[in-house]
Amino acid sequence: MKMPAHEPPRWAERILERLLPARARQVVVGDLREEYVEAMLPRRGKLRADMWYIQQVASFVPQFNQERGPMGMILSFVSWFTLASTCWLAVMEMLLRHAGYELRASMACGFAIICLATILVRMLRMGKRAERWLWVGAAVLIGFGGEAFVHNARADHFEGFVFVISLALMLQGALMLMTLGWPTPGNERWLRQAGQSQ
Amino acid sequence: MAELLGTFEQSVLLSIFGLRGEAYGRAILNHVQKLLQRDVSAGAVYATLERLEARGLVSSRLAEGSPARGGRARRYYTVAGEGERALSETQRALTSIWKDVQLPIQEGL
Repeated sequence: MKMPAHEPPRWAERILERLLPARARQVVVGDLREEYVEAMLPRRGKLRADMWYIQQVASFVPQFNQERGPMGMILSFVSWFTLASTCWLAVMEMLLRHAGYELRASMACGFAIICLATILVRMLRMGKRAERWLWVGAAVLIGFGGEAFVHNARADHFEGFVFVISLALMLQGALMLMTLGWPTPGNERWLRQAGQSQ
Repeated sequence: MAELLGTFEQSVLLSIFGLRGEAYGRAILNHVQKLLQRDVSAGAVYATLERLEARGLVSSRLAEGSPARGGRARRYYTVAGEGERALSETQRALTSIWKDVQLPIQEGL
């Protein structure tokens, strides 16, 4: 289906809806749509108006992270770090092609997918059903991270990057477990306010 | 004495005052940009509005939305008595701090 030219990008609007707490959702999405339609689009044209809209959506991410509490912020930071390092590991394996590189590159991609899923599930409020899969992801990260850490410690040749990545995997897994079982007071507060005002 | 307001908080409160009954999110965002003479992100404005409301410095009410916003509700803000007091105290404190200062700042102040 083609998107009408006078509307902000639908995908960005959906992300914004997911980022916002129930109380603010309709109001903020409405305000930004009004500004987009009445001011940005006529003044700046479609492309620059879309860029403006995406920039505004991104400005709600820090607020969302704060709402999840300190554990959520740490998890978010570690998820991005682990995602970047596992992608880097996969690329290096593919370039260097040492023996058994296919398996290691596939594993790195698998870890990257878990990290990306963690970021998306938390950011887009996909709910308890999706979060259940993160428990499995956390167990996989801790298992493989721990195995790599022990294997590296016992090996004749100590690899610094294996040490860092195995630590990151274990830390990410542990944080995922902690945040999954951790109450998010900010979110509950928002939900209470939504119940009072609607 | 109550905690002094930051520059951004002052701008948001003064915008609500300046908009006289027409202070909803989009209008506040534009007014703050005009006051500070720079681009301001919507996320920062809404986070500040939420914080000010939680502290009892502003109050809000929902109103019907226009077709341009897909019928979505508007939230109008007004400065509460506590907000006016906080603004006055901040203005007093800033005036007192700057009272004896002459720019460029002289040594030995």
